[in-house]
Amino acid sequence: MTGHGRSLRGGVLGGVGLAAFVDEVVFHQLLHWHHFYDKASSEAGLVSDGIFHAFGWLAMVSAVFLFADLRRRGTLARTAWSAGLCLGLGGFQLYDGTFQHKVLELHRIRYDVELAPYDWTWNTIAALFLIAGAVLLVRARGRR
Amino acid sequence: MTAVLGWAVAVCCLGYVGAAARLRTRGDAWSLARTASFCAGGAVVVAALSAPWDAWPPFTGHMAAHLALGMVAPLLLAVGRPVTLALRALPVAPRRALLGCVRSRAAAQLMWPPFAALVHTASLWALYRTPVLAAVHHRPWAHLLVSVHLLLSGLLFTFAVLAAEPVRHRTGTALRAGALLAASAAHGVLAKSLYATAPPGTAYRPDDLHAGSQLMYYGGDITGIALAVLLAHQWYAAGGRALHRERRHALGGARPGAAALRD
Repeated sequence: MTGHGRSLRGGVLGGVGLAAFVDEVVFHQLLHWHHFYDKASSEAGLVSDGIFHAFGWLAMVSAVFLFADLRRRGTLARTAWSAGLCLGLGGFQLYDGTFQHKVLELHRIRYDVELAPYDWTWNTIAALFLIAGAVLLVRARGRR
Repeated sequence: MTAVLGWAVAVCCLGYVGAAARLRTRGDAWSLARTASFCAGGAVVVAALSAPWDAWPPFTGHMAAHLALGMVAPLLLAVGRPVTLALRALPVAPRRALLGCVRSRAAAQLMWPPFAALVHTASLWALYRTPVLAAVHHRPWAHLLVSVHLLLSGLLFTFAVLAAEPVRHRTGTALRAGALLAASAAHGVLAKSLYATAPPGTAYRPDDLHAGSQLMYYGGDITGIALAVLLAHQWYAAGGRALHRERRHALGGARPGAAALRD
């Protein structure tokens, strides 16, 4: 039985969960950059946010138990799992930074500031995570 | 009327404790944690029905009571697995009747997770997005009816997602997780929309509305995460049992004599 695919999927879930968690804790609760609801968001934005918020913590919980299951079976492929984690983190952040913030006009990263540097930083970090995930995935495939 | 309901809940808890004690005296195991959880659930119902909510800002107080009745209490009551306990503790005749109910096609349809999630979600949308909330505001009877409905729909949803009771057939983990995801997302969307737009026909102050909607949002998150952890733990434990069987069979295959001795 190969743990490659399951490790990768578990990592992706963990990455999405972690991105949603950091978003909630750091940007909503600690920095107060994000507003609970800025009343300018579109309805589609609210629905998309609701689904991703709920999916985020459900993904986090599943990732923890999947990780424990992989360890228990001795089939955890660490590189594949890390690749998944980076892909999940970057993918969620890029979706949040482009589709949710821009297309659906759901809340901004920060209010009353010049937004462009924040948007660029946000999406560049997302892209870096995606690249790191892709590199790790290639290495994990090579090692298999 | 609230007092009658409170007493009914107290009688249920006493019955539960009595049944658990009966099991223990005849030598069967029934964990104290389940008993504690069920009684805590009963206490939350009584507290939500009788707390002095008038001292709170009206919308926030209302939301706290509904969160307790519709989400916290059902979770605690379901963890106690009262149906399983009743099936073990009851005498033969009522036990057979209860088993007939639990195993019926109607129960299976009610407990189908997407249906239960729909009932739970639709109840909340009907309450907060139609003039229902304004209509029950000064009618204690109608308000009590709404509270009981929230408790029952919350119980239906929680029992369906946890699937810990011996119903006709147990739905798969993925479907139950999907129902949980959909209901949680809808709950979050409704909570956020209440932040901006009050339920029709009501005139809550904005700060009250903001506090109440955030309480609904984060309270919903916490109970949702708790349900997800319970669900994931079920899956993990079932996987552990399967793994244990596989390993035992593998061992038994290698040493048939040992397996025969053990069985």
